Order: sequence, then structure tokens, then C-alpha cells
Amino acid sequence: MADRRRVNGPGGITVPPIYEAEDLPLPDRSRQPNGIRAQYLKTGVTPSASGSAYLEIEPQNGSVSKGMKLTCTVHGPRSLPRSAPFSPHMVLSTHVKFAPFATRQRRGYLRDSSERDLSTHLETALRGALIADRWPKSGVDVIVTIIEGDQARQVAVEQGIEEWDMMNVLGGCITVAAAALADAGIDCVDTVSGGVAALVPGKDGEEPVMVLDPVPSEHEEILAACCVAYLPSRDEITNLWLKGSLSSDANLQRMLIARAVHASKGSSQAVAASLTEAALAG
Amino acid sequence: MASQQILFSPAELAYLHRSLSLKPPIRPDGRAPTQFRPLTAETGILPGTNGSARVHFSDGTEAIVGVKAEIEKTIEAPRAEESKPESNEAASERTRGDWLELAVEIPGQRDDEASTVFLSEMLREALLADKEFAKKLFINRRFHWRLYLDVLLISPPLSYPLPLLSLTTHLALLATRLPRLKSEGDEDPMFDDDWEASTFLYPQEGTATNGSRPPITLLVVAIGDNVIFDPAKEELAVAETALAVSVAEVRRAQKAGDMEVDSKGRELSLLSIRTIDPPSRLTPPGVPHTSNTGSSAFAPTKLQKAGDQETEGVWKAPLGGTKFGVLDGIIQAVLEKGGVADEVLDGLEGVELS
Repeated sequence: MADRRRVNGPGGITVPPIYEAEDLPLPDRSRQPNGIRAQYLKTGVTPSASGSAYLEIEPQNGSVSKGMKLTCTVHGPRSLPRSAPFSPHMVLSTHVKFAPFATRQRRGYLRDSSERDLSTHLETALRGALIADRWPKSGVDVIVTIIEGDQARQVAVEQGIEEWDMMNVLGGCITVAAAALADAGIDCVDTVSGGVAALVPGKDGEEPVMVLDPVPSEHEEILAACCVAYLPSRDEITNLWLKGSLSSDANLQRMLIARAVHASKGSSQAVAASLTEAALAG
Repeated sequence: MASQQILFSPAELAYLHRSLSLKPPIRPDGRAPTQFRPLTAETGILPGTNGSARVHFSDGTEAIVGVKAEIEKTIEAPRAEESKPESNEAASERTRGDWLELAVEIPGQRDDEASTVFLSEMLREALLADKEFAKKLFINRRFHWRLYLDVLLISPPLSYPLPLLSLTTHLALLATRLPRLKSEGDEDPMFDDDWEASTFLYPQEGTATNGSRPPITLLVVAIGDNVIFDPAKEELAVAETALAVSVAEVRRAQKAGDMEVDSKGRELSLLSIRTIDPPSRLTPPGVPHTSNTGSSAFAPTKLQKAGDQETEGVWKAPLGGTKFGVLDGIIQAVLEKGGVADEVLDGLEGVELS
């Protein structure tokens, strides 16, 4: 949705350079269907914030995927402004923002609808994990910045890929925000972690297969995808986002959610490892 | 969603939660768990649009949707030149989701507020999830329709407006007509002036009715072990889980012989699921009588731990997520043959399209 409240300058001032078509063969997925990309997670990267984390997802060799880099800062818990109404719980506000240079298409400084949508998803995912009644009358801000989006230069031109990419971004946002919340020392029932699974058409007209942590540009088409926010020790899901066209076969969406939960277990190990490391380092 | 204040006391919430987790649940307005609020609907109310609809729920919420279509030049992708001899089929696959513009307006809320954006993205996502919709907007390789869907809630948002907006959008799309194309191939499009000759975006009965129909999004909540459809405001305030599930009917080519098979049930396809943050997480907790220092008769004899354990009958906001089994139960209840989705679609089919 366009911003109708301000008179903005024309959006297309910076014209992205158009490169000659590279004859890159569309790379195939080299990982196993149940393999996720390696993740690097470090907490406490922003000294001025009460909690922060940085997540990097490994770029693939020989693939158009350039990996993803996210950073999250948590400010608070701090007292609400005097004008705010009384709240018996901590008030959580989430902001997700792409850096202007994160994707092929330049993002403006104002958040667009997809970013606002992502922040609502993130809020749902985190609110389930927080024990919010331990901080009445206080607020916490969770700010996630996507420094580098997971998009190849040439392939991302085609629309459709970008939409599927949002699921991956949300999965990363959830994981990095959970680590930053833990770093800030805010009580949670568990560290929540994000995981993505997708249904892609099989090779040579075979049955569709399910893959974990899909890179949209590695597949010709994505039939359906699912992103979950999962609490491993309680075995509960705080946020579920599934889209795509699934036939009425009941097992398909059940399988897809189960695979996404499986993927999030992988990234929860990264969170656990980095938090232990931070705790040992003191 | 978070901005909406919940004006229920802990005692009211505990009462609601208790009666809604009974088997069968007792809903405040006396409905069955799978029953929708009664509604009145009409289509073709706005003469200046390609299709429009108005739906009025019995609780006083009302929405109108107008669909307007414009012709737009398709911007060729820079790669298109390489593969010149493309068949029309292949070209129609290069459809884009942004040919559809959807705006939701809710009184009292800014149009860029996160919850409004969330609603409109949810409706948009369900429409575009199967790639059929964008193909309907394809005219030829150089031109396409651009569809503007404007969703207006005209009453104050008394309950979460998602089911209302979704049903209204469904009806408006069913009633949408586009002028009949007279030109052929890739020449500049020419259209028939006669509005009577215009074609429906979603073909009507009798003609080629194959393919998907517009989606509907159902709001389903789980309270205790119960799955409740179309929750009112009070029910949403005590819900442990709220899911928005979008389904659409897919019609298959049928032979003349199997008419009976069709009448039994329809084939539903699942398009999208989203978790909605239930407002119950923001409700104030109740204070058990035993730990209430204000009541002198039952002065607390020993120190209570900081409210970690739950007392029977005292409201406490739900914590944590949802078990997979509960989510699965909700999805099964929506997709069930002859279930609520069928009932709603049957009801909407009865609305006369003008």
C-alpha cells in the first residue's frame, strides 16, 4: 500500500544498473532435502542496546544465493511513557526493516506493507514465548534490520521469488530476535526459533518433494511453503504461516508443518550454542 | 490487534473461558460451535464498479467491497527478448502478483497500521496463492488488467473483521465482470461496448466452470479442547489460539454422468494459514482470593510464589504456544467434507449475482 499521508518524492530516482544477462545455469539444490544451511549467530554485538544479536546464513558455493545477514537489537524493558494507558503486561513492539540496499529492488526508508506484515508475524511469534506479566507497565522494542537479503541479482527480477523469500526472512527474524531477547535477559518460557519448509516439484516430473530451508532461486517453482516459530522444550508452535496451493490431501499440510518444525529444531541448536558461548565468555 | 483494548474483567474472562471450554461449549450468543453469525448479502450495489458486494452481519458490522479494473501495459522483463518465439501459453505464465491492488479501510485506524496491513496481506495472499487468479487478468502479451479491490468496513470494528471482509470480497469477485475482448492476439485491446455481453471474471454455472473459485478466509479459535468458528469479540478475548485459514473450492471438469457426485461435496484446497495474535495474551490476570491481601477474612497465611501456579477459576492469560495436535485439529475441522466451509460456500452461492 502506498503511503498516502506524506508527499513523497518519486520512488525511482536510483535506477539499478542493468547487467547483461549472465548465462548462469539455474543452480540446483546441492544440499540434502533435509539439510539446512549453516548459521552463524552472535549475541551482544550492539553495546548500547540492552540485548542484541547478529545472524548470518551461509552463502552457497556455486549458487546464486548470497546468504542472509540480519541484526536485531532489543531496547528495554523500560517504563511506558506517561501518556500510555496502564498495561498489566509488558508491551511488545516489533519493527522489521530491510536496509535500503538489502534487496535488488531498493527499499525506501519508510516501511512498506511487506515489512509491516513481517513485523506482525514476528510479534505473534515472540509474544507467545515472553512471560509478559513479570513486567507490568513497561515496554520493550525489538528492532530487526535485514542488512543483506537472500536474493540473487539476476534471478530475483522475476516476481514470485521475492514473495517466497519472505518466509526465509521471517524464519531468520524469529531466530535472531529470540537470541537478542535472551541476551537482554527478558524472561521467556523458551527460546523460540524459526524454521521454513517448502514443497517443490520433483525432478523429471516425479512426485513433489519437501525440502527444509528452501532457497527459492534454486527451485523452478515453489508449490507451497510454511514457516513456523517453535518452542523446542515445550513442543509448541507460537506462529504458523503457510501459503501455497495444497490439494485437500490432509497429510500434505501436516507433513509440511512437521518438516518446518524439524527445520526450526536445527536453528534452535544454533541459538543454544551461541547463548552458551556468550554465557561462558561471561 | 494489540491496540484494541479489552474491556473485560478477570472474573468475566474466567466465566467466559469456563463456559466455552465445556463440552459442548456454551457461547455467549447461543450459537453452535460451527455456526456463523446470520448475515444478509447483496451484490451489484455500486454502479461505478466492475463488481461490488455488501455484507451485513447480525451483530451490526457491515462491509462493502468495490472492484475496479483498468488496462495497463505490461512491462517486459529484460530477459524476454531472448526467447521471442514464445507461445501464448508460456507468456501467460509470466503473470505478476502486483496486478492486484488490495486496500483495506477500517474506521478509526490508520491505513498503514500493522494490523490493517496484516489483514490486507492476508486477503491478498489467499487470492494469489493459486496462480490461477493472475492468469485471469492476462489480456495479451502487451496488456493486462489491473484490478483494484477496495475493502471498506463501514461500521466500527466490533469484532475482528476478517471473516466479514473475506466473505464480502468473495462475493464481489464472483460478481465482477470484465468487458468482452474483441481484438485478437497481441494488438491493442478493443472491447465490446455492450455491458450485457461482458464476461464474469469467475465463470458462472452452465458454462466452463472449471478451475478455482475465489477464496474464503475463516477465523477459527481453540478454547480448551473446543474448536469454535467465527468467534465474537468475547470469544476471541479468551481464545488460546486463533488461526485464519483460507480455503477455495476447486471445480474439476465433470462429465454429464456424474452430477450426483458433485452435489455431495466440493473439493476444497487449502491456500493459506496464518496465526493471529489472540488478544487474550493482553488480558489482566485475576488475583486468587487466598492471596488477596485486601480481603481480611482470608489473610494469606504463607507467602505465595509469584503467581506461577494456576488456581481453578481464576483467569490467567495463556502462556506459550500451541501444540501441533491442536493446530492440526483446527485445520481438519475447516477442511472437513460437509463442514463449515461447505456450509458457508453454499450460503454464499444462494446470493443472487447482478
